[in-house]
Amino acid sequence: MTKGEQLLADMRRARRSGDPRLDDADRAILRRLTSGDLADEFAEALAQDLADDDLLGGTSPDDK
Amino acid sequence: MIVVDEYLAIRSLVGDTPSDLPDDVLAITTSVHWRILQRLHLPRGGQLSQAMAALSEPGRAAFRRPAPEILEILDPRPLLDQAAEISAAYGGTGLLIAEMLTASLHHGRTLWYGSERNVGRRTRDIARDLGITVNVVT
Repeated sequence: MTKGEQLLADMRRARRSGDPRLDDADRAILRRLTSGDLADEFAEALAQDLADDDLLGGTSPDDK
Repeated sequence: MIVVDEYLAIRSLVGDTPSDLPDDVLAITTSVHWRILQRLHLPRGGQLSQAMAALSEPGRAAFRRPAPEILEILDPRPLLDQAAEISAAYGGTGLLIAEMLTASLHHGRTLWYGSERNVGRRTRDIARDLGITVNVVT
């Protein structure tokens, strides 16, 4: 493996392992948003952002 | 670099990206980051707000200022004129859609979503018209 390949592999590994500033409890919370018990509430909050803000969400109902 | 939505952005911070997501640097638009930040700064009550309030300070920092080697936030300035053009051409879309479509035109003509429900009908229609592929991976 060349030095460049090693460097790229290290970068890939770091990217795949997530942000080290998040501890295990933080990761558990965020998993609840994307695929756990808070997924519905998270999806509704994202949709509400668009409904509340015409600049962000546009004015057509199809944008929401 | 590939352009992703809020779901995949958060999963990248967690280190839990789907295996079928291309192995590339992930990027979000400022509008997408804005929607993520609303979960921290604009609590609407409910369990979601309680959960977000329980994040550690370093965890909140990762959310607020993602490390670019994990998740890059695209500079909106070079894209803004084209985003406005796209918005106008399709009847005045919101910034979220226009910015994502424009970003994808500059980064491989693909968009990656982590949830089917996060892809609006309008996004699909305009993306098809612009030759942009919309992918959903869970």
